[in-house]
Amino acid sequence: MIKRGITVFALALLLAVPAAFAADGGAIVKKCGSCHKLTGPAVKTIAEVKARKAPDLFYAGSKFNKDWLVGFLQNPTVIRPAGTVYANHIKTTGDTDTVAPAPKCESKLSAGDAAAAADYLMTLKDAKMKTGVAKVGEFSKAKAKMLIIKTEACNGCHSIEGNGGLSCPTWEGIGKRLNPDWVYSFVQDPQYWDPKVWMGKRELDDASMQLIVNYIASQK
Amino acid sequence: MKTIVISRFSAVFFAAALFLTGGMAVSASAETAAENYSLYCVQCHGTAGTGKGINAPFLAVAPRNHSDAKAMGELSDANVALAIKEGGSAVGKSTQMPSWKHNLTDAEITDIVAHLRKMCKCTGAAK
Ligand code: HEC
Ligand code: HEC
Repeated sequence: MIKRGITVFALALLLAVPAAFAADGGAIVKKCGSCHKLTGPAVKTIAEVKARKAPDLFYAGSKFNKDWLVGFLQNPTVIRPAGTVYANHIKTTGDTDTVAPAPKCESKLSAGDAAAAADYLMTLKDAKMKTGVAKVGEFSKAKAKMLIIKTEACNGCHSIEGNGGLSCPTWEGIGKRLNPDWVYSFVQDPQYWDPKVWMGKRELDDASMQLIVNYIASQK
Repeated sequence: MKTIVISRFSAVFFAAALFLTGGMAVSASAETAAENYSLYCVQCHGTAGTGKGINAPFLAVAPRNHSDAKAMGELSDANVALAIKEGGSAVGKSTQMPSWKHNLTDAEITDIVAHLRKMCKCTGAAK
């Protein structure tokens, strides 16, 4: 009887082993803290913004789509053509500025570690962000582009369909990267997320916001 | 006496409420004009202020050359402040010049206007 109990116990231990070997996402992400800020709040002065080495990750669970994270953490791509803070990566020749080489993300996780890190990052949520606000579905692409290019001139700072400014994140693949509810919140009030960010807050009604959110979600 | 107690209590309460509701949306602190210009304006107007920032090649309308005494001299201080606060469309110019009223306080905008006057070595037109 006792012997059988021990066998069952040993078996249970054996079954628990794979779980113990599974990567600890929190421990992996902790190492990324040498470049990324992992706890809030965001910095509040321009001097601190300029000291930023990499984008804040303490609200990653509100901002990103998990599938995109898993891929990016294994093989990071360039999102900000002029680096995290463009003002730190300018080369001036005469009176003309061009982009100087900027550091890229150095995450090179295995598939298993990337999945564990993404799971952990998805738990870092901003409690106040409204969810279920973005209504992604059918939309008029022509109307959206009119608003985005002509009225709001987002392409002044963002590369849209391969053409536009360099000081801010590209919109190439942005629909895969970002959670539409976060896009809604960020465009409505960029300074809520990053008090000194160099993107202006706009006064847009819900219909306009939905056009922007839908267009961004469609950029895959 | 009673009113003093109440007002003192409410002051403490108000301060505590402010602290508690701060959350992520902490009010940003004032910056010098040079610091603000270096983060918000340089992306288009350039480090030299001549309109040759990293975004300039992608804009349909060239950003104003802030060192051009003639062009900047034709704009009054009030016009410059309005363009910064409400964006190009408020002064009959391109929407590619954005509004900065949520990034900058009125006092910071006034400082930037003075900063631009140093860059152009010019004074604004009357009116
Ligand atoms: C040497 C510094 C450095 C390290 C270490 C580093 N990163 Fe990055 N990371 C960056 C930079 C710089 C960027 C911005 C890249 C861009 O925008 O093109 C970035 C971008 C990112 C982004 C996209 C953020 C956004 O808002 O678009 C994520 C997610 C990310 N890193 C996660 C990680 C994780 C997880 C680790 C650890 C496994 C890590 N990084 C390690 C520098 C670093
Ligand atoms: C996205 C690019 C962009 C950014 C960022 C930007 N500007 Fe401009 N700005 C422009 C463009 C384009 C024009 C020219 C508009 C026109 O002539 O129709 C302009 C014009 C101006 C003018 C002239 C307005 C007039 O009435 O002729 C002033 C003054 C000015 N900008 C100041 C600033 C300041 C100060 C900042 C930073 C707080 C700033 N700009 C940021 C693009 C930008």
